Amino acid sequence: MRAEHWWFTLPLRLKSIFRRNRVEEELDEELEFHLEHRIEEGVASGLSPEDARLRALRAMRGLDQRKEEIRDARRVHWLTDFVDDLRYAVRSLGRTPGLTAFVVITIALGIGMAAGTFSMVDALIFRPYPVPHPGRVVTLSGTTRDSRFEPFSYREYLDLCDHTRSYDGVVANLDMQAVAFAAEPGTTPRVRGGVLVSGNYFRVLGIEPRIGRGFRDDEDRVPGRDAVVVLGAAFWRREFGGDPAVVGRTVNLNGRRFTVVGVAPKTFPGMGTFSHPDFYVPLAMAPVFSTDLQKSFFEDRDDRELTVRARLKTGARLDDARNELAVLARQFQVDYPDASRGRGAAVYTQFQSRTVEDDNWKFGVVFVILALAVLLVACTNVAGLLLSRARSRTREIAVRLAIGAGRSRIVRLLLAESLVLALLGGLVGVAIGYGFVEWFQSKQNIVFQTDLPMAVPMQMDTRVLVATLALAGLSAVLCGLAPALQSTRTDLVKGLKSADAEPPGRKRLWGRNVLVVAQVAGSLMLLTASFLMARSFERSMLEGTGFSKDHLLMVRFDPRLVQYDAEQTKRFYERLIAGVRDAMGVERAALTQNVPFGQDSFEGLTFVPEGFVMPRDRESFASMMGTVDEGYFATMGVPILRGRGFLVSDKADSPPVAVVNEAFARHYWPNSDAVGKRIRRGGANGEPIEIVGVARTIKYQSGSFSGSHTDFLYVPLAQHPVAGMILLARSSGDPLDLVPSVRNIVRRLDPNLPMMQTRAYEDLYMNQAVYGPRIAIDLVGMMGVVGLVLAVAGLYGLVAYNVSRRTREIGVRMALGAQRADVLRLMMGKGMVLVAIGTVIGIGMGFAVERLMNAMLFNAGGVDVLVYLVVVPLMVLVTMVAAYVPARRAARIAPTLALRYE
Amino acid sequence: MSKPSDLVQGTLDLLLLKILALEPMHGWAISLRLRSFSGDVLQVSEGSLYPALHKLEQEGWIKAEWKQTENNRRAKFYSLTRLGRRQLETEMANWQRLSAAITHVVQLSEA
Repeated sequence: MRAEHWWFTLPLRLKSIFRRNRVEEELDEELEFHLEHRIEEGVASGLSPEDARLRALRAMRGLDQRKEEIRDARRVHWLTDFVDDLRYAVRSLGRTPGLTAFVVITIALGIGMAAGTFSMVDALIFRPYPVPHPGRVVTLSGTTRDSRFEPFSYREYLDLCDHTRSYDGVVANLDMQAVAFAAEPGTTPRVRGGVLVSGNYFRVLGIEPRIGRGFRDDEDRVPGRDAVVVLGAAFWRREFGGDPAVVGRTVNLNGRRFTVVGVAPKTFPGMGTFSHPDFYVPLAMAPVFSTDLQKSFFEDRDDRELTVRARLKTGARLDDARNELAVLARQFQVDYPDASRGRGAAVYTQFQSRTVEDDNWKFGVVFVILALAVLLVACTNVAGLLLSRARSRTREIAVRLAIGAGRSRIVRLLLAESLVLALLGGLVGVAIGYGFVEWFQSKQNIVFQTDLPMAVPMQMDTRVLVATLALAGLSAVLCGLAPALQSTRTDLVKGLKSADAEPPGRKRLWGRNVLVVAQVAGSLMLLTASFLMARSFERSMLEGTGFSKDHLLMVRFDPRLVQYDAEQTKRFYERLIAGVRDAMGVERAALTQNVPFGQDSFEGLTFVPEGFVMPRDRESFASMMGTVDEGYFATMGVPILRGRGFLVSDKADSPPVAVVNEAFARHYWPNSDAVGKRIRRGGANGEPIEIVGVARTIKYQSGSFSGSHTDFLYVPLAQHPVAGMILLARSSGDPLDLVPSVRNIVRRLDPNLPMMQTRAYEDLYMNQAVYGPRIAIDLVGMMGVVGLVLAVAGLYGLVAYNVSRRTREIGVRMALGAQRADVLRLMMGKGMVLVAIGTVIGIGMGFAVERLMNAMLFNAGGVDVLVYLVVVPLMVLVTMVAAYVPARRAARIAPTLALRYE
Repeated sequence: MSKPSDLVQGTLDLLLLKILALEPMHGWAISLRLRSFSGDVLQVSEGSLYPALHKLEQEGWIKAEWKQTENNRRAKFYSLTRLGRRQLETEMANWQRLSAAITHVVQLSEA
């Protein structure tokens, strides 16, 4: 019935919309046909043709009224009216191109910023997994008292597979890791990113390989047996030119031969937000790759390195899965009290897992909030402009109301105008958003300084576009509704008498005033935020780092990649450092586990200082720790303030020693010399370590702008061997000139061992510590400047509007003897009061933002007074100019002209 | 102004559907037919004829076609659709129920 109904009526409706003229012509022809017959009839009955025509028309009882009735019957009024409204809106906006352009740009700025930040948050949180039915894929995670996101061990993973009923399958993977890759055996390996996955990974996630096959479940049963690899699509194209014959070939991974069995589809760049693996290898091949050396990956229940995901069965409920896993976690605690004490488990949806796993999304949310603040300022600004525009059209609207237009019809007309504005603004805004995304993508290499394939996949996808356009529509309502509603409340009689009727009461002015106050406050807040960031960044730059970062070459090694055992690793590093120290052009060289501002986080140490009375609520203290060799302090230019640095004589079997930084020493021994004191590692009964020296405190990490007071403890390489180490070599010239000789030394020691992160240390430092934070500052600063521009425009608009509204009054005043200064004061005074109120509120909001940023981004406490001393006067000065310019125009009005105005 | 009170609400639709069920015809012919059928009892204003026709067309009950008349003029001919036929049956049934009920009531009051 419904379908058949539309079969007949839809063509009619479409015709009424798109062939309107034709339909009208046909209507005229039809009625004319009728009238002609009627006239003929009249003439036949003896009337004159004129009388006959009159009689015919009378019988119709009003031809035009009937036509309207027929037009209503077409039921497309709402649409044709809307189209008419849009046409009218475009025409009337076209008459004021300057205002229109300004409004469009204002909205576009706000929406563009929102679009850019949306796409950031989208990439960080909302984009679904690139698999079929992504909503059914959940993350299983361990939990402890301190952490809500803990990996599982291989043993635990097997139990999860065997003892859960809610899933179609449970998959596991290790984090992406550096792998020494060589397409042909015997060529120099390069570092590529590989992921170890369970055998059912592709099958359960529903990934159909592009060519070849995914893993079989049995390829994940026997450790070390099935050396097979699935390539990522992008890697396959890059490395093999997209050659389909790659399936069946062998490649070298970490010195072992693997057979390529398939290529993942282009649509599957990996499950991680940032990492886009070059290839996948079965978990059972873990012995070839880096896992915790201290533990046995396949046996130890506490070797927890696996991310576990599962696909919910159709019909299975998340709550049931949660209960099931909770029961299982309790069983683990009972069965394995040592390995599982205090460990729970949780099932996370994609959204939950992304927000629990890391905190990057918080940056995105901060930026979205800031962008929305800009949009809000833009909208209030536009609303203000439309309000004054509507005012100047008071008479037009009064006429429309007088000749019978409904109020809702007028509101619709005015809303159509703001809709056109918002859509134009939205389109330009999307373009700005694209620009923003491009800009951010071009900074990717700064954000991710790594040899591995990592990137924030920011893009303007459909989700972002829809959200942006929805926002544009919302802004249309926000900008347009208030002015539209107010203008229909016009007093008809007054409206018809004068082009600008006095507003009824103070209420309307009150609204405008609130807008200006909000703008001033909002932009002041944004400016404060950006200044605050820039200031604390600058401060941290001025402080310096405490070590010399120039003329340093860094190269990272990881002998685990070629399966060295501890002894081989030790020998390799001994020979390496000896060779490098002898090389031409090397002044000094050292080995260190981490470099300051590097990408890897520092190791943590728990300890108890000997003879220290512990606070009742804790058993140990924590500090950052790093393994360095005896040349480190000299090479990095970190002075030893008291005691000594490490010596070659600090061997594995000699008494354990450590060097602490000054912050550490002052923290625990504020009144005595730390040298000679001992700490116990792990707890009160741990291994004793003697502090033999105190080094100057340096900065260790980027991310926090003021990390100058971090405790740090150095231990000698011989007593605390670590597999992955960074070679630092200081040269007198360009540090990169040392690369060939270092490469020769490494090749002589082991041609299969890749050199990673080979670069001048200063480059790393600049990227991590300078350019990265600067991106954030640029971003907020950009917003602050945009906000200021908007606020200025808003204030200018308000004063200019007041001037035009009170032109006649000004004329009268001047005719009665008011001086220009009086007029200036009159026009500016109100604006400046508003600025003052806005400033006070803005300062309050600035304090709030400062507290928020201190809590989320920086760790500096206190209030930065100078920021307000700069921002507030700047704000006041700029807004005064904005009010002065139109006010001066008022003061120059010739009284005779003003009195004749209108 | 058209006078809906001239006819019982909705009966014009019924009349038009019924007339068009006989054969396709144009507006003028329908108005002649209405006049001749009902004599002077049913005063259908020509003013309400065309809005009613257009309404029926938009409901999908009748469809329109431009054709030549016998005098070789172009005219808009209306004809019943399948939906219209069904509608006619419904409305006729309704009308018969209604008129039977009214007749019944009228006779009651006379008795």
